Amino acid sequence: MTGWTKRGTRLALLLAALAMVAAACGSTDDTTTTSTAAEAAPAEMTDVALQLQWFTQAQFAGYFAAVDQGFYEELGLNVEILEGGVDIVPATVLASGAADFALSWVPRALVPREEGLDIVNIAQPFQRSGTLQVAFADSGIATPADLEGKIVGNWGFGNEFELLAGLRSAGLDPDTDVTLAQQQFDMLALLAGDIDAAQAMTYNEYAQVLETVNPDTGELYQPEDLNVINWSDVGTAMLNDGIWADAGRLESDSEYRETAVKFVEASLKGWIWCRDNPDECVQVVLSNAPILGQSHQTWQLNEISALIWPSPLGVGVMDQTLWDQTIEIATSEQILQAAPEGTAYITDIAQEAVDNLKSQGLDVVGNDWQRVEVELVEGGN
Amino acid sequence: MIERLRSMSPPIIVGIVGLVAWELVLQVLQPDGFVLPPPSDIVASLIATWDAIWIAVQSTGFVIVTGLLFGIAWGVLGALVVSWYRLADEMLTPLAIGVSAIPIIALAPIFNAWFGLLSPRSNQLIVVLLVFFPIFINTTRGLTDIDPDQIDLMRSYGASRWQITKEVRIPNAMPFFFTALKISAALAVIAAIVSEYFGGRQDALGPLIVQNAGLARYPDAWAAVLAGSLIGIGLYALARVVERFAMPWQTAVNQGVEG
Repeated sequence: MTGWTKRGTRLALLLAALAMVAAACGSTDDTTTTSTAAEAAPAEMTDVALQLQWFTQAQFAGYFAAVDQGFYEELGLNVEILEGGVDIVPATVLASGAADFALSWVPRALVPREEGLDIVNIAQPFQRSGTLQVAFADSGIATPADLEGKIVGNWGFGNEFELLAGLRSAGLDPDTDVTLAQQQFDMLALLAGDIDAAQAMTYNEYAQVLETVNPDTGELYQPEDLNVINWSDVGTAMLNDGIWADAGRLESDSEYRETAVKFVEASLKGWIWCRDNPDECVQVVLSNAPILGQSHQTWQLNEISALIWPSPLGVGVMDQTLWDQTIEIATSEQILQAAPEGTAYITDIAQEAVDNLKSQGLDVVGNDWQRVEVELVEGGN
Repeated sequence: MIERLRSMSPPIIVGIVGLVAWELVLQVLQPDGFVLPPPSDIVASLIATWDAIWIAVQSTGFVIVTGLLFGIAWGVLGALVVSWYRLADEMLTPLAIGVSAIPIIALAPIFNAWFGLLSPRSNQLIVVLLVFFPIFINTTRGLTDIDPDQIDLMRSYGASRWQITKEVRIPNAMPFFFTALKISAALAVIAAIVSEYFGGRQDALGPLIVQNAGLARYPDAWAAVLAGSLIGIGLYALARVVERFAMPWQTAVNQGVEG
């Protein structure tokens, strides 16, 4: 009797352990499969997952607008937007199949591509880069060469490539001539004096400083209080947000290619709508992320629009000159070991999408778009 | 000499066979899983990125070694105090257990806020906390888990507390201490690297591993992991050497048993 109880207890424990393991392995997230038209018979909607490269904010307004205004739905797409985050690298999420499309800065996607990820750029909405390195005006840091010997904050994970290229082009060795510090995704380290120069985007962190009260004056920081190194001016800026897709799947799966065209078309339509209806667009973003401040998002949309419009070739169509420039900088400043093999970007999908939009009478170039004056308030609310 | 070589050969053979198998399997199968590159790629990457890795090794290595030394010092001191005073035992041991239970993930950002993002102090403190506990617990055991007859004998000789400690407790504690030391060497490496995930200098092994992995630069990530492992192995070997010098009688016994 005692023997059976011992064996029975052990057996029960083993079964319990196996059950727990099975439960842990068994739960899968099945919201991101793209079903073929045949399978999704009732509504003929295709499920699509888009991986953002950061948390929800106006940087991705076009996609949220496309959802909100029904542009995706019109074309039969049921789009789920996956928020990004600190450790999430969109290129790897895309390659793993957890997303159908991903947003990523071009060099940040080309590096994993060089390591073997089979991804391709199918649209490039952002024509210009908004990456800055910001320091206080009294720090004496005004050019990349001034960063020598300084503590230079950056976000890492591929966000720092323009900075590295800028340092190298000024003759500095990033490993030995500067101290690179892992910066949190805010400007607190700069404000606290822990770092001498901070990484910032024109549309986000730069404004965060301008929304902070200067303890010396009791007023908000003014642009004159800051020195800004704009990598576009320095000449080492590289292309920012682009839409990436799974290259192998594009070739083998014609449904996926059709979906890609529809997805790009509706997304670009969302960006056009945001350009023409900025206030409503900001509201759409805020409804998706209520924690964000209205004035800050208004600033952000304004600055993002400056990166997109005008798009001389039509929004989202890759400009070969800009691409070559990015590759040239990336290879000469040792971000990439060599120019990308094979086809790293295609324009036919974006071109088809833009042609469809033009035939709907939409302005795909945006020559008339102007920046507006945005007033910043403390905390960005 | 021959004896020593013969005793070293089994692990060397196993190691070589393992590496060759790893390399061949990946070359033959060529799976899409570039997450685990073949050893040849890792070593090639180590050589190619040596400059960056060497800087990172110095940065992280400094934190590991200094944290380890301070952790050992505090651990041994704590153990001695606890072996002398029962009251200290009742106060200190539960505190040590409580502190050791706090996960690093919770402490690292707090220490960064205390000491500043780029100061090595926050990383060193994490290492000290992780190293302290095994050293403290094991050394305490070694200092107090004595055959009562030996203590009685010393007392009958009129030995002072310090003499008892020096002649009986410390020799008894040596094996316990060195066991803990070997554990702590590995823990120090882990603690230092994990503490680097929470901000600070980027020229350290932690960021090198995490960011290269994030960009799918797996050979580079593994090369940095290899560098960290080598530090840990080096410290372990150093602990063995110190042990041999400190406890010559132990080594003689082991060799005698081997025959």
